[in-house]
Amino acid sequence: MAEKQEKDLQKVKELIELMKANDLIEIEVVDGDSKILLRRPGTVQSQPLVSAAPPVSSAAPVSEDAGLESIKSPIVGTFYQASNPDSAPHVKVGDKVNPDTVVCVVEAMKVMNEIKAEIDGTIVEICCKDGQAIEFGQVLFKVRP
Amino acid sequence: MFSRILIANRGEIALRIIRACHEMGIEAVAVYSEADRDASYVKLADGAICIGPAAAAKSYLNIPSIISAAEVADVDAIHPGYGFLAENAHFAEICNECGITFIGPTPAAMRKLGDKVVARKLAQEVRVPVVPGSDGTVANELEAVKLANKMGYPVMIKAAGGGGGCGMRVAHNDISLHKAFGAAKAEAEAAFKNGTLYLEKYLLEPRHVEVQVMADKAGNAVHFYERDCTIQRRHQKLIEESPCPVLDERTREELCKSALRLLKHADYHNAATVEFLLDKDRHFYFIEVNARIQVEHPVTEMVTGEDLIKWQIKIASGLPLDLRQRDIKHCGVAIECRINAEDPDCDFAPCPGKIETFMPPGGPGVRVDTDLCQGAVISPYYDSMIGKVIVHQPTREEAIATMKRALREFRIEPIKTTIPICLKILSHNLYVKNKVDTSFIERHLSNS
Repeated sequence: MAEKQEKDLQKVKELIELMKANDLIEIEVVDGDSKILLRRPGTVQSQPLVSAAPPVSSAAPVSEDAGLESIKSPIVGTFYQASNPDSAPHVKVGDKVNPDTVVCVVEAMKVMNEIKAEIDGTIVEICCKDGQAIEFGQVLFKVRP
Repeated sequence: MFSRILIANRGEIALRIIRACHEMGIEAVAVYSEADRDASYVKLADGAICIGPAAAAKSYLNIPSIISAAEVADVDAIHPGYGFLAENAHFAEICNECGITFIGPTPAAMRKLGDKVVARKLAQEVRVPVVPGSDGTVANELEAVKLANKMGYPVMIKAAGGGGGCGMRVAHNDISLHKAFGAAKAEAEAAFKNGTLYLEKYLLEPRHVEVQVMADKAGNAVHFYERDCTIQRRHQKLIEESPCPVLDERTREELCKSALRLLKHADYHNAATVEFLLDKDRHFYFIEVNARIQVEHPVTEMVTGEDLIKWQIKIASGLPLDLRQRDIKHCGVAIECRINAEDPDCDFAPCPGKIETFMPPGGPGVRVDTDLCQGAVISPYYDSMIGKVIVHQPTREEAIATMKRALREFRIEPIKTTIPICLKILSHNLYVKNKVDTSFIERHLSNS
């Protein structure tokens, strides 16, 4: 047991060095049943606000997304689930939506733009966090039609 | 100094600006349309934001989208490049209102110089020669003759009420002016119900010469000498060079000083190019100012050793232009060829497509500005210019030889480009002997 613990500790130490060397904020290693998640205090300047990688949705495994539609952002801005901090989110997972349902707001140039579902279905996943920077075409929600 | 800049452009100029940012330790944020998702410049930026679908109006010209991107990326400044929003005073104003520095002139200076009539007037106020013309309309033949003799023949009679060649006549002397005046008036009456005419000097076989200027926010201004952009096709520049091969030192000095006088008079800061026409007698006439960095800026960078994009960024951040005119030396000859994805056999129709083979030239004296690579797809949504080859050598003869060598090495397949026509021009006797004017391509290299 002690040997295993020592091995685990060594692994963690190695991961920490890897993170420092590559200036990573967070790293998760899954190995069978075990999982290690390490998070460094964020140094904001070193982390680009919006990465150059393609949007998150395209990296998701195909099998999980089969049959799901996406609600994508028509504008650039900042995502919020509710119109203001005191209101309830416009939608939550499990809610039924129709094309005119307001699902969220995207703030752009101080204007809170209400984003409509444009689709009939049930919200399966909320893909963005409050305050997250959003680009044109970014997947906001996954919907089961 | 800025810590993060957003580049409101695409392709080779976006990459150019990213390079300057990286050398200055500034984070570069790129924007891209869905058509440019896989572009090289996007991958080389520190951050990138998709701003819209392919259509330029919905992406690179979409002010709210670009400003939103600038805000979410928390940038200090925006560099507009050339084209798109680079000379959009409204965009510059919005940037300022949002607390984002626009890397370029003030909206007021941009508006002043963007209005050709105002710019012309400003030029006259500081004794910069303009294409001579009548001050308003010409009442009758007698007045026309008087003015024509003052300006010098040949002159162009133009209808005040319209264009399209109607009511336009060229007169080479008093007798032909008498004949032409009546005919032009009648034609104008018939076409526009308005027979009023005005006069302009008709410049025969002009060369196009422009001066690169730069000024800081404190009013210190310098010039980086001239560029000759006479080789044009349908008013689009194809080959540019520095120095202008037909200018004597005295005319060069007068030309460059004129450009500086105009810039200072317009209360301008950042980069600008003052354009002139040069007639057969080597008299120059102001035509317009381009209030932005230009496509052909590398030509000037090669002959002066100065990085114009870095100067733009420094000036915009409030740093002084700590260069004295006498420190800026002109060395050797630089030539640039624009590489456009155009099919010369189809009247230069744009030639979009996927690039299967891409091998740019290299070696001494060669610079290639492009964001293309193997596998890149040239989409039909934007300008057909895909890159520039610039060469720099001690003499014009050597520069031409190097450019020909470089263009022959350059493989961009299977799309058609302007490389073959550039090679034809560089080998043409008139080009080599400096006997070209702005109609050269149309007159000597049009498809028969």
